[in-house]
Amino acid sequence: MSANGRYLRLAAGLVVIAALIVIPMNFNRYGLFILSQWAVMTIAAMGLNLTLGYAGQVSLAQGAFVGVGAYASAILTTQGWPLPAALGVSVVVSFAIGWLLGYPALRVQHHYLAFVTLAFSTLAFLVFRNESWLTGGIYGISNIPRPHIFGFATNKPLPFYYLCLGSLAIVSLAVWWLIRSPWGRAFMALRENPLRAQSLGVDTRRYTLMAFAIGSALGGVAGGLYAPLTQYIDPLPFNLSLSLDLLMMVIVGGSGFFFGPFLGAMIAVLLPEWLRFTQGYYLMLYAVAVILLLIWSPTGILGILDRFLANRRTKAASALRAVAKSRLETVQ
Amino acid sequence: MTAVLEVTNIKKRFGGITAVDGVSFDVREGEILGLIGPNGCGKSTLFNCILGQLTPSDGEVKVDGRAVTGMRPSDLNRLGVSRTFQLLQVFPKLSVRENLILAGQEHQGNMMSRLFGRSDAGLTEAANQMIGFFKLEHLATAQAGGLSYGQQKLLDAAMAFMGGPRLVLLDEPAGGVNPSMLADLKERLVAINRERNATFVVIEHNMEFVMSLCSRVMVMAEGRVLAMGRPDEVRANPAVIDAYLGR
Repeated sequence: MSANGRYLRLAAGLVVIAALIVIPMNFNRYGLFILSQWAVMTIAAMGLNLTLGYAGQVSLAQGAFVGVGAYASAILTTQGWPLPAALGVSVVVSFAIGWLLGYPALRVQHHYLAFVTLAFSTLAFLVFRNESWLTGGIYGISNIPRPHIFGFATNKPLPFYYLCLGSLAIVSLAVWWLIRSPWGRAFMALRENPLRAQSLGVDTRRYTLMAFAIGSALGGVAGGLYAPLTQYIDPLPFNLSLSLDLLMMVIVGGSGFFFGPFLGAMIAVLLPEWLRFTQGYYLMLYAVAVILLLIWSPTGILGILDRFLANRRTKAASALRAVAKSRLETVQ
Repeated sequence: MTAVLEVTNIKKRFGGITAVDGVSFDVREGEILGLIGPNGCGKSTLFNCILGQLTPSDGEVKVDGRAVTGMRPSDLNRLGVSRTFQLLQVFPKLSVRENLILAGQEHQGNMMSRLFGRSDAGLTEAANQMIGFFKLEHLATAQAGGLSYGQQKLLDAAMAFMGGPRLVLLDEPAGGVNPSMLADLKERLVAINRERNATFVVIEHNMEFVMSLCSRVMVMAEGRVLAMGRPDEVRANPAVIDAYLGR
């Protein structure tokens, strides 16, 4: 990439970040809630993108991990714990459960693995609903406090949105670092050819477990923020449909692309809101839009961009080849 | 000469079929051993048993005198044993350079240093050298999946050398490679064999390639060793001519 292209990308990134900070200042309560939800869901989808998009391990349980994080954070903060500490527990618990859920992936893959994670998702939902001594059962947990971060109260919508945005920024940097590191390369090797990866010294067991654990931990982070965002949780939002929503965010945005979850979550969270004016039809229109997108580009929105860039590279390469060929002919 | 690889009485049964039936041989340091035989005679299964992709039903494998039977492929690789596969095995979505860095990264540092250290694990220079060595410079940043078959075969072989292995098992490196590229490949293999004192075992059906590259040749038929010796001895062996080379 040329230096110009790099500056252009940097500038575009800064504009987007500035817009995310400045524009919502004029938003009402509802707008800020939706935007905060986008940030939280992006974090969860980034986790799934790591497990599925980069490491190629199918999971239908990401929603359950959001639930695990949300319950951990709700239970602890209502007991008077500060949110950062509760978030820490959310991360540790979902990391540990995610690690355990990785073990089946060492034996089964693809749709078989999807079924194993589906079973886990159902199990988690039943625990949220039935273990009422811990989770409040179907009545859920209410009056979840919003935290004070460095002395700033975040109980108003705007500061809490900034808390979500800041968390998203931190998670993004961490994930960016991870996928650029040799770990990221090893994850992609798992996805593309585990047999070959093994013969090159890649400890596929450990990396598979790590891919599940880290992806799940990010689900836990999202849940840990979701609880104070809604300030009330019950089991319903964490059923299978959240896992499927998150899966759709990853696929629609572009599985295995860093920015895929940002776009995917935007479409899954914001598009239904924009389509609300169509009243009863919005879910149908939304479904049709997603189907059309995936027919046009099975690799998601960023897949379109990727295809465009690949096309350009191929054209450049054939141009070079044509030049080389004409030279060859003049030599003859 | 010391043996880098000692294989003793390896057997592998799949249900009622005995694919490898009591094979013993050793590979001396620095040699290139050819392994030939008809399709289905157990060559690749033998490789898989040696390298941990399959667990042998019986027998023992030693590398540098150390028993490694049934060891996981990734652990064995970090001990300096590397391989290529019969079918193409590159990582198609990664660039040529990334493929090579991946092939070497697990030999650098530990899990933690690979997470927090440099993103190329300090291997860009080594990868570039390997790219130059296999004459793939113009393709360094191209996606491996977009390379021609022969180029991918070269990359596949180059990847096997990134960890600086002592012993490399190559499964049909010449299959589907055009003659001029084949000459290149042979020259590269001989150079690595001499310069790095790497020991090779090569499965191959291209007789010209095997006979000119290898110092010794082992012939397998129906899961057993039929003959072992210098290329000219093997070529003249009536049993080998009957079972494999043809009259």
